[in-house]
Amino acid sequence: MGLLFNTVINSLILSSMYILAALGFAFLFNMLRIFNLAHGAIYMIGGYIGYYFIVELGMNHWLALLLTTLLVAAFGVFLERFLFRRLKGDFNLNIMACVFVAVILQTTVNIIVGDKTMAIPSFAEGVFRTALFSVSYERLVTFAAGLFLLGAIIWFVNKTRIGLQMQAIAQHRDGAILQGIDINRVSAVAFALGCALAAIAGIFLGAYLRLSPYMGDLMLTKVVIIFMLAGAGSITGILITGLILGTLSSVLPVFISGAASDAVIIAIVIIILLIRPQGFFGYQVEM
Amino acid sequence: MKRMSAEHQNSINKSKEKIAKPVLLAVLIAFFALFPLFVRSPYYLHILSLTFIYTVAAVSLRTITISGQFPLAHGAFMGIGAYLSALMAKFWGWLPLLCIPLSALATAVIGMLVGFLFSRLRSLHYAVGSLFFGIGVIYIIYAFPCTGGYTGMMGIPRLFQTADKMPYYYFFLVLALISIVALYRFEFSHIGTILKAIAQSHLVASSVGINEAWYRVLVNGVGCFFVGLIGAGYAHYNMAMSPTAFDFMATLWLCMYVLIGGITSFAGPIIGTFFLFLLPEFVRDLQEYSPYFSALLLLIVIFFMPRGLVSLPALLKSYFLKRGEGERISNVSGS
Repeated sequence: MGLLFNTVINSLILSSMYILAALGFAFLFNMLRIFNLAHGAIYMIGGYIGYYFIVELGMNHWLALLLTTLLVAAFGVFLERFLFRRLKGDFNLNIMACVFVAVILQTTVNIIVGDKTMAIPSFAEGVFRTALFSVSYERLVTFAAGLFLLGAIIWFVNKTRIGLQMQAIAQHRDGAILQGIDINRVSAVAFALGCALAAIAGIFLGAYLRLSPYMGDLMLTKVVIIFMLAGAGSITGILITGLILGTLSSVLPVFISGAASDAVIIAIVIIILLIRPQGFFGYQVEM
Repeated sequence: MKRMSAEHQNSINKSKEKIAKPVLLAVLIAFFALFPLFVRSPYYLHILSLTFIYTVAAVSLRTITISGQFPLAHGAFMGIGAYLSALMAKFWGWLPLLCIPLSALATAVIGMLVGFLFSRLRSLHYAVGSLFFGIGVIYIIYAFPCTGGYTGMMGIPRLFQTADKMPYYYFFLVLALISIVALYRFEFSHIGTILKAIAQSHLVASSVGINEAWYRVLVNGVGCFFVGLIGAGYAHYNMAMSPTAFDFMATLWLCMYVLIGGITSFAGPIIGTFFLFLLPEFVRDLQEYSPYFSALLLLIVIFFMPRGLVSLPALLKSYFLKRGEGERISNVSGS
């Protein structure tokens, strides 16, 4: 019973964080056709900045979370303004720019911290006990924060003016511009949001798992899997496929060891992609 | 009269080019063939051998892209070739010189199977599908105990019974020359033209009776053959390897070699690989900062040479011509 409950809560936490990161990735792709290979690096830098604020400066966890989010969001706006806007949507150049950002971030972190593994101290101490199961407060807090953020994002995309403008651009770029939507402003918001979400996932998973300069590569894989299974242009699809992937990647290791379970997940994903290239909820991308 | 002289000038330029290109190639090949006679430092021979290896990998990656699809599993195919050859030589005790072509053939067969599986996918979906395949290959290498898993594979038999770098240098030079010539002939053959037609429009190509799926499978086989060949050579040269040499980042760097050099030209990946490999050598003292220099090169190419380093001469030419005819051009743009 305890193992079952722990697996469930594990999968929920992982899912919520994967979904947060994947939403950021999806915003950028749906609106701007940027296949953001730097997403993993931004997730990683979020975790490290959070570590710096919490451990080195001794800040409160939530204040550090807020500051990191704002900082990385500003970084995203900077990237949009001075790098990606100048490339005018050229796919190859965008890929090169993403690799450029990823290499710069990863090398910087590598030089500063090296191979030391470190972890952000947990968000809350103590264990919540009942007759049937026990679960640490940290997991509960992470899960609650993830749920809250997901709700906030869904509200933002569906109810606010900028969110609706983002959806309009994702549906038809030229049509949206003709309707008077300022695409530069909305792109900047999308970049800020995407980077901020990746950074939030980085901080929470940095406390939950561990920090390393290469943690972004693994996350990037997960994010791309979630995005492709959901399909381009779909936001609700990401919630569902994120839940599926989070469940699979925390349940399968119980039965199959280590790398083999990852191989099984990839095989399942490839088979789904072969049967339905456009994903569960998306459309086929022509480029 | 003016037009005639222009044509005359043009033909002179063309004949100059006709002579200049083979001469330049011959000089380059002679330089690399004679290089070890003057520089005996094993370090430089090692770096140049690695450059030849990755040149072949990048050129064969570009060969697949002429069919209009961008595969993101090329590093993994290099790994397949390397691990197959290493396993054959280590556990069956076969000669490395026999294992290398055999594993290249096996890689080609695997590549064709994968190409057949993915022949329904196009553009982004193909790229991401092959990316997942590459990741899966790495996980499979991790999962099998005979490959050494995370710690990597050690004790792979040497190709030549010597620790000297020189025979390896010539081996890779010859292998790279053969591969590049073969891939060049392939691209400018009848099949290459068909592949370019498919890249322009797969619908039109199918409507004139081209079997799109078969040609895409074929080009996958050709590209994977050469990358498997060079990967196998790499395994017997290094004698120890770990899957991280073939993971997604390795594939991504292969793509960067192609994109930096210029994906539209055959010489592009060769130039790109040489630049990205040899540029960090000038700043050897700052080993850990060397990724910054590669990134800087990426940034320069992104902003100033969007068609890659091969477009540099044309860009310079147009820049100087523009300065001479500045008035006319500003008039045109003003009107």
